Amino acid sequence: MDSSLLALFQLCDSNFPSGGFSHSFGLETFIQRNKVHNRDTFSQWLSLFLKEQMVSADGLAMKLVFNALEEGNIEEVWRLDRLLTIQNMSRETREGTRFMGRSLVKIAETIYDSEMITMYSKRILEKKSFAHPAILFALAGNHLKISRDTTILYYLYSTIINLVQNAVRAIPIGQTDGQRIISDFQPKLKEAVEVIKRLEENDFGTIAPGIEMAQMQHEYLNVRIFMS
Amino acid sequence: MNLNSDKWTGFLRIDIENRAGKSVPKNIYYYNALKVQRPIYHGTTGMPCYYILNVGGGYMNGDTYRLEVRLRENAKLTLTTLGATLIYKTLDKPAYQESEIVLEKDSYLVYLPDPIIGYENAQYKQVDTIYMEKGATLIYSDILTPGWSANGNSFTYNMLQLKTNIYMEDELVVYDNIKLAPAVQQIDVLGFMEDFTHLGTLIVIGEKTDDDLVKRLHQVIHEQPGKFDVGISRLSVPGFTIRIMANMTQDVQRIISVCHKLISEEWFDETPMFLRKY
Repeated sequence: MDSSLLALFQLCDSNFPSGGFSHSFGLETFIQRNKVHNRDTFSQWLSLFLKEQMVSADGLAMKLVFNALEEGNIEEVWRLDRLLTIQNMSRETREGTRFMGRSLVKIAETIYDSEMITMYSKRILEKKSFAHPAILFALAGNHLKISRDTTILYYLYSTIINLVQNAVRAIPIGQTDGQRIISDFQPKLKEAVEVIKRLEENDFGTIAPGIEMAQMQHEYLNVRIFMS
Repeated sequence: MNLNSDKWTGFLRIDIENRAGKSVPKNIYYYNALKVQRPIYHGTTGMPCYYILNVGGGYMNGDTYRLEVRLRENAKLTLTTLGATLIYKTLDKPAYQESEIVLEKDSYLVYLPDPIIGYENAQYKQVDTIYMEKGATLIYSDILTPGWSANGNSFTYNMLQLKTNIYMEDELVVYDNIKLAPAVQQIDVLGFMEDFTHLGTLIVIGEKTDDDLVKRLHQVIHEQPGKFDVGISRLSVPGFTIRIMANMTQDVQRIISVCHKLISEEWFDETPMFLRKY
């Protein structure tokens, strides 16, 4: 197996300390309102989250980062970090991705010898950039010379397994059901990458109103096990 | 005169300045299908209210509109429409509207247009770009609703898209992209519009924003009657977004009005006038 692929797998590993276990991205609101309460309803939520938010925001941003790096347009990468962060109207979700982004960048800086990641880290320290997991993933994939679409696929996959693990704990659903969902999602992940290939910036960050609403409302939930 | 203005189906320019505490027009210009009536002043606030009027009655295939609004230093303006923006069947080319709004230092804009109503097979794209300088305050809203249709279905329009970009001192601070495309999307599912048909947005940017105000708005919103779902959350700059899902325009408008009233009283010590239209 390719050693650079292994190096990217490390970022996707659910044991990688990104902090993802403490963020539900609005899922907890759906659980508390009993709209998500079993494998089927969770699958529905996850499908839409993938199809709308992950595709039009994170996925498209990653594609644009790869394109920008190819053209040597580094300023465009920093613009996308800002755009991807502020397009989310929920403060908690924004803070959550920022927190995860910072953790990832910090570790990535020590395990990859990448000039871009070092620059990103420096900008984050100087408060010139926000920090977002999707941007970091794109920079890491590009550094490891992994193709754009493979990097996006792995990023989407790592987000999905993280959310499934959170659902197993929070709904709760069984571990086997969780693994079945991950398996069922494989064709959906591939389809998501195909959609991202065709998307243009005009459709960047289009909202899924219910998903966004739950993310905005999360800060008002009384009892919470997740930070977003 | 804007020499390019005749290429638009409707063009409107409003330029307001502060003259000795009263906000007055420096330049008002309109062309073709858009116009404004004489401004109405409310009490002693010195803040004019302009009503935008679409002479054509509705937006059709390939129509293009442009609005330019500039508030000079310390100027204030309330901008609304005289009625809803109606988007009719637009089969080959979406109707399009763009607005460019400049808010100079310490100016104050309240923009509360009536809903955009998408009828059967309607396609509409709106792009609003707002440039703010330090100290400026913005209260900005939009409402998307489906129009009546013969078969009783709610979502018979093809696509309504609203893109809003807000810059503070040349840095992008708000990016909002709403795109509801029933022609190619499942709209009434979990996580999308669920049981609702109307989508409202209120974006407020002002240096005086604090957690206490947001908490009070949250409280006052939940005292309102009607069936709705609402989210309020702070932006990365002093300000916040309120998103409202409902089934009736008046439920959305009521929430926007109470928030506008509370903010106006809190920040400007002014009770806003009721926007009487009919």
